Amino acid sequence: MPVDEGMEPLERLLNLVGLLLETEHPMTFEEIRGTLPAYGGDNLDSAKRKFERDKDILREYGVPLEMAATDVWDVEHGYTIPKDRYYLPEIAFTPEEVTALFVAAQSASEETVAARGVRKLLYGAEGGVLAGVESGPLVAGSDTRSARVVAAADAASARRRVRFGYRTSQGAVSDRVVDAYGVVFRGGHWYLVGRDEERNAVRAFRLSRYTTEIEDVGDGSAPAAGFRAIDHVEAGPWQLSAEDRALVATAPGTVVLVESTFPGVVRERTRDDGWVVLAVPAADEQALAAMLLQFGADVEALEPATLRDEVIRRLRASMDA
Amino acid sequence: MPERRRSATTAERLGRMLVIVPYLVQHPGTSLESASGIFDVPRDQLRRDLDLLFMSGLPPYGPGDLIDVDIDEDGGVWISMADHFARPLRLTRPEALAVYLRATELLATPGIPDAPALASALGKLRDALGPEALGDGIEGAIAGIAPPHLDALRAVAAEHRRIRIEYTAASTGERSVREIEPEAVFASAGHWYVVAWDVAADGERLFRADRVAAVEATSERFEPRGLEGAGRQLYTPGDHDLAVRLLLRPAARWVAEYYVTADVVARADGTVEATLPARQTGWVAKLLLRLGPDAEVLDPPELRAEIAEIAAAALERYGR
Repeated sequence: MPVDEGMEPLERLLNLVGLLLETEHPMTFEEIRGTLPAYGGDNLDSAKRKFERDKDILREYGVPLEMAATDVWDVEHGYTIPKDRYYLPEIAFTPEEVTALFVAAQSASEETVAARGVRKLLYGAEGGVLAGVESGPLVAGSDTRSARVVAAADAASARRRVRFGYRTSQGAVSDRVVDAYGVVFRGGHWYLVGRDEERNAVRAFRLSRYTTEIEDVGDGSAPAAGFRAIDHVEAGPWQLSAEDRALVATAPGTVVLVESTFPGVVRERTRDDGWVVLAVPAADEQALAAMLLQFGADVEALEPATLRDEVIRRLRASMDA
Repeated sequence: MPERRRSATTAERLGRMLVIVPYLVQHPGTSLESASGIFDVPRDQLRRDLDLLFMSGLPPYGPGDLIDVDIDEDGGVWISMADHFARPLRLTRPEALAVYLRATELLATPGIPDAPALASALGKLRDALGPEALGDGIEGAIAGIAPPHLDALRAVAAEHRRIRIEYTAASTGERSVREIEPEAVFASAGHWYVVAWDVAADGERLFRADRVAAVEATSERFEPRGLEGAGRQLYTPGDHDLAVRLLLRPAARWVAEYYVTADVVARADGTVEATLPARQTGWVAKLLLRLGPDAEVLDPPELRAEIAEIAAAALERYGR
């Protein structure tokens, strides 16, 4: 393909970026053509087409190519790349900080937007960077495509009103119109928190339960002063937190399972028969009774008596079913 | 369309150069090898791109105006006359958001290493890019606590050391001592996992880190088999799996989300019919005990007797 007359397009683009970054006044295409030999030649149309394509490439990569008047009379317009919009501001990261960011951006899939972003930050690292970062990604992609998380964060930060289809944990599907206030990551899931238009109340919507993409429908509203999105995201039904504690006896082989189910469990003592008595946070007695049943005959509720009675009631009901 | 494909490649190469060159300017003498690793570019491609850089510069493009690239005999790269490329292009808004979101996820995972460094890096990023790039209201909450043996597991996985663990399987409730070769440790949906080769079973196994009760290192090292880490399926269906069909009422709807399902059919009355693959039915029976009237066994019918059996054994504990 003879369009480039021997010059690689990459070289031409690097020269174009350098030229428009360093120019003191906006340059018209004619000036650019007169300075950069790559846009020279007899065929003006083909040079123009080439320049148009190059502009698209630059914009695709986020290069702020702007048009401005070449003089105060505003007659002629030219191109420039403003330095303050092009250059990343100085950020001095320690090697530990850069390593932590680099690891965070790593992903199981090959190339992500986050990884591309982090590479731009590496230049500011002091000293030897990234020694020993070979452990592979630490965290699997969250429960939803990251594009949806970005869209939600985008809407929240710009205080937009959005519409999406949503299926509740109980399975009911409906259309929601929400003023986006914040996004929250909790317990392995992302949530969009905002004011639900129809219910006129703040709600949290788990992104993995959306049945449509997020659609921008206009300006939103601002949350009340002191608003914290995180206060509106409940922990899952299996995560209990409370001052009150219940006592349960656990078969030796099941202790680890119970401990991994209830964060904040404390080992009280070991009985003569080898069973371990555990103190379990008990915010919701009904929920706790149900969860204890999942350990079958390997867990016995001891205290309070109401919890013990509830477990027995549920076991009897299962026998009769 | 070869023309289109070529321009895409050029765009990628440009994007890369606008990021790599500032790094090389700020870190003179960086080896080709390490730059190729950090920026995930094949060495030859990087070398070709740097050779082109050598021919670019500023007007009037005389010998003294061109960027000078020198690759010494040890592969160290030295770039001069490139002041206009001494700092990289700003992060685009999606890039800044993606980095911030990803790091927030990591910070909200209990037991993450380097959490203080990550938190301070995020602070600097936020200050530098400003609210217009990152906005307000991106929050993470640490849920749960780190598994007690997480650090030990990460250390032995990094050393490729064979270990003995005491492990309780949730599916059977049985505790066993196993010898495993741990290859990767990762977090997914709020839990930490260890991907390992189980020596006695002679097969790949996935362990929940919080169910590992003891870790004992052996003197033996192993050659990693390249088992898949983060991003893998958490449950690998087996040939001998049973298909358990359950009817879930709204209050038990979460089961279809929380467990791996082979099939989920929503019924008009608001209930859901879910099919769960299971190697054995013990854990499903106990799950159904927990769900009580919110769920029903559709198939296999024997599961109902199993539930009643477990309930009877449990009632015996209470002296009833």
